Amino acid sequence: MDLNSLKKKAQKEIENAKDLKQLDEAYKKYLGKKGELNKILKTLKDLPIEERKRIGKEANKIKKELKERIKETKKTKKEKFQKEREEKEWIDISAPGKIPATKGHIHPITQIGNKAEEVFRGLGFSLIQGPEMEDEWHNFDALNIPKNHPARDMWDTFYLENGKLLRTHTSPVQIRYMESNNPPLRIIVPGRVFRYEATDASHEFNFYQLEGLMVDKKVTAANFRAIIEEFLDSFFEKDTKIRLRPSYFPFTEPSFEVDMRCINCGGKGCSVCSQTGWLELMGAGMVHPEVLKSVGYKPDKWQGFAFGIGLDRLAMLKYNINDIRLFYSSDLRFLSQF
Amino acid sequence: MKFSYSWLNEFLKKDLPNPKKLSDLITKHVLEVEEIEKIEGDYILDIDVLPNRASDCLSHIGLARECSVLLEDKLNLPEIKLKEIKEETKDLIEVEIKKKEDCRRYTTRVVKDVEVGESPKWVKKKLEKCGVQPINNIVDATNLVMLEMGQPLHAFDLEKVKGNKIKVRKAKANEKVTTLDGENFELNNKSVVISDKEGILAIAGIKGGKKAEITNKTKNIVLESANFDPVSVRKTSQAINLRTEASTRFENKIDPNLTGKAVDRAAYLIQKVSNGKVTKGRVDNYEEKRKPKKIILKAQSIRDLLGIEIENKEIKKIFLKFGFKIEEKENKFEIEIPTYRLDLSIPQDLIEEVGRIYGYENIEPKLPEVCLIPPERNINFFWETQIRKILKNAQLSEVYTPSFVDKKDLALFNYKEKEVIEVSNPISKENTHLRPSLIPNLLKTAGENQKNFNTIKLFELGKIFLTPDKEKEMLTGIIYNSKKDDSFYTGKGTIDFLFEKLGITDIWYDEFKPTSEDNKDNIWHLHRSAEIKVKDGKELGFLGEISTNISEKYGIKERIVCFNLNFEKLKKFIIEEKEYRPLSKYPSAVRDLAILVPKRAKVEEVLNTINSIKGDLIRDVDLFDIYQGDELPNQKKNLAFHIIYQSPNKTLTSKEVEGLHNKIIEALENKPNWEVRKF
Repeated sequence: MDLNSLKKKAQKEIENAKDLKQLDEAYKKYLGKKGELNKILKTLKDLPIEERKRIGKEANKIKKELKERIKETKKTKKEKFQKEREEKEWIDISAPGKIPATKGHIHPITQIGNKAEEVFRGLGFSLIQGPEMEDEWHNFDALNIPKNHPARDMWDTFYLENGKLLRTHTSPVQIRYMESNNPPLRIIVPGRVFRYEATDASHEFNFYQLEGLMVDKKVTAANFRAIIEEFLDSFFEKDTKIRLRPSYFPFTEPSFEVDMRCINCGGKGCSVCSQTGWLELMGAGMVHPEVLKSVGYKPDKWQGFAFGIGLDRLAMLKYNINDIRLFYSSDLRFLSQF
Repeated sequence: MKFSYSWLNEFLKKDLPNPKKLSDLITKHVLEVEEIEKIEGDYILDIDVLPNRASDCLSHIGLARECSVLLEDKLNLPEIKLKEIKEETKDLIEVEIKKKEDCRRYTTRVVKDVEVGESPKWVKKKLEKCGVQPINNIVDATNLVMLEMGQPLHAFDLEKVKGNKIKVRKAKANEKVTTLDGENFELNNKSVVISDKEGILAIAGIKGGKKAEITNKTKNIVLESANFDPVSVRKTSQAINLRTEASTRFENKIDPNLTGKAVDRAAYLIQKVSNGKVTKGRVDNYEEKRKPKKIILKAQSIRDLLGIEIENKEIKKIFLKFGFKIEEKENKFEIEIPTYRLDLSIPQDLIEEVGRIYGYENIEPKLPEVCLIPPERNINFFWETQIRKILKNAQLSEVYTPSFVDKKDLALFNYKEKEVIEVSNPISKENTHLRPSLIPNLLKTAGENQKNFNTIKLFELGKIFLTPDKEKEMLTGIIYNSKKDDSFYTGKGTIDFLFEKLGITDIWYDEFKPTSEDNKDNIWHLHRSAEIKVKDGKELGFLGEISTNISEKYGIKERIVCFNLNFEKLKKFIIEEKEYRPLSKYPSAVRDLAILVPKRAKVEEVLNTINSIKGDLIRDVDLFDIYQGDELPNQKKNLAFHIIYQSPNKTLTSKEVEGLHNKIIEALENKPNWEVRKF
């Protein structure tokens, strides 16, 4: 084959190369050790010297040209080749993703409790825990709920054969903490509580409460309102509105019920708030002097507020869940959504 | 209690605002109106009267009095126009109170020549609206007065009160009584009863008896308006499990000064509706009179507790709205509390009155002005949170199971009655005892979940309870995989991962050795269970397969593995600081090693042999395959390891690596029946 047609053939192949691999192949084919050009050069030894020189010179020129051409082509077509390759590697991004066979989940009530703890920590409240099995003193008497008083009926209680009872609220932990710590103090107490109640969509016989207590020399109802508003704003991550209305708890005086403007309808009235525009959120009040006395604090020196909020209730509002029993169903179809 | 809007309206001079507006006012300032129901010609307000206001607000007048404060109106009290006949009441009836603690006051009136019959429509309607069943014009009059004034009353047929004497006394033990509705009760000797010389006429403050019942033949009646001891009424009502409108009111205390007016009002109504003739005077047994109480209230304490700016004159104005007598001296108020406000006894009670009338919605939020002390860290809660996160990362899901178990669970797990705490008043037969372990309820949840899932990995961090009064926090989990028989190793890997993250390095798994005395051990598979131990042999818990004898009782189809750790013990070994091991700059060399060992040889033995060579040049030994198959000699298994050699100081030559590797092979082959396979 003569050099010129070889050159043309090589150029054509370089021109038509579809990717880098084909370019490399062309290089090997024409310019490699055993390539076409070398083959031609090898046949030169039988030719006269003049001829050899001429063809050799031309072959080298072609070699150089082809090298340049390949280099050039590589440079200019690199991006094009990449694009063409990626085009062929198309996958369907609308097909479902793959996930690990099982994933772990933290219970929604734990998550709610942790979030509440985080907000209250920022407000200077320490987290305290206490026993679930209680005695009458801590659960009732010290909280100014005397035996044989109808106020006891406000808490349907599980009594135990060992003479103890299951705490009906987290308030006994207030007493335990104050018995062994001096004021001033700010604490929250999350935990499981028990009520002797038939279960339905809004009642469970064991559920979770978060208790709060602040005692200092000058703690007011206005302070309580500010703290709770701060908490709710951070917790629900929106501007919430609350109202306090009169209530009765033996361990606070005055006592309040705290309602929050319905976060679902904004107060217009909907099924979540039973058309009232308000959601009952917690009981609260200013600590009753009898409670302070029962733990050895001087009521003329110290005062404070206390509140109790249902973590289940918060979780139901936050996630728009309408049946409290789901939290205790241990159903992975439910739990795996959190 | 159900209140009639139009009835309330009767007791006020001005007209009430519309029911919706009134309800909002009442909810904001007094008690919660739970529902407004429209019925023909009226509205019914269902109001949750809490125990502190039960003494005055379980009545229309009580609530009307609150409305008069809110609306700045005057009360319009019901009419009492008695036309007494000459005959004196005291000549017809005598009252004896055996123990004055049981009954602070007993007031009676007698009405003669009554015509017992149906009540007029207006009476019946009022009762029905408030959910009280009309009976006859006498009984209805007493009930009407109760709904009006809050004082329960009772009417006896005078002819049936033998000896013309009423006694308030304790019942004899096992004394029997038949009540008006024909029910029989046996009383204990602490219950207070009303009796004549023959027997019981009524269970004091709870329900009337059949003996002196008003019938159509009744001519003369005696009306009882009494003030019984709240505790005694409550105890009897609980003992015989009978709650009535009357007992609820007595339990919550009532003003003893109410009985006179109430009995007069009832006598007046009976005179009006049954043409009865009211005899002259009341027979009134009232020794210890209740007098108005005075409370001293510092003006500043109101501002200090509520956190509001309110002037003295405004405070005074609020108390005047209540109609309380008030005197102001040197920033202090001396306030006289009428006897019907039994709930007001300390200054804080009065601060509440100011607060709710001022309006809690008018309290401006204000952050506390005290210096912020950083909160204490709760280490228990911190580790609970960490453990939950770690187990979540290990693909487990947290559950909350009930704190109760039943007798079947206890029998399966071999718990004896004396070890577990029984609930005195269980909610159902599935919840009779406090859980002595988290395992039974976790197995129940596995049984439920296997309907929807092939793989179930759950954990719970919760309290268990044991006699006499022990409460322990446990960390328990279950691993279930219906497709693969490797849950034990998944469980072990989970525990290893957990402990590593908690910085507990020196844990080990000890052979399960069931002890004959602890028959609770029989829930575990004998050859697929291990004790989890730490340091010098302290047991932290258990990991193992639940015996199928147990798991099948919970409807679990395949093998299930459980770990059960004592959180309180575990906590003591957690190390927060992590020790950092510098990364070597020099390359590592990996050599594989396969060894054929008898089927029951333990991986641990092989590892121990490898590690006996050690030196600090073996960085890691990693078991990557366990194989038992047909191609292998009988009763043998093949273990394959990656052994990673590395020096912190230099690049190891292949000669050095070979040297070490051959030493390991030599040590392994020294064991009988162990054979290193060459690649």
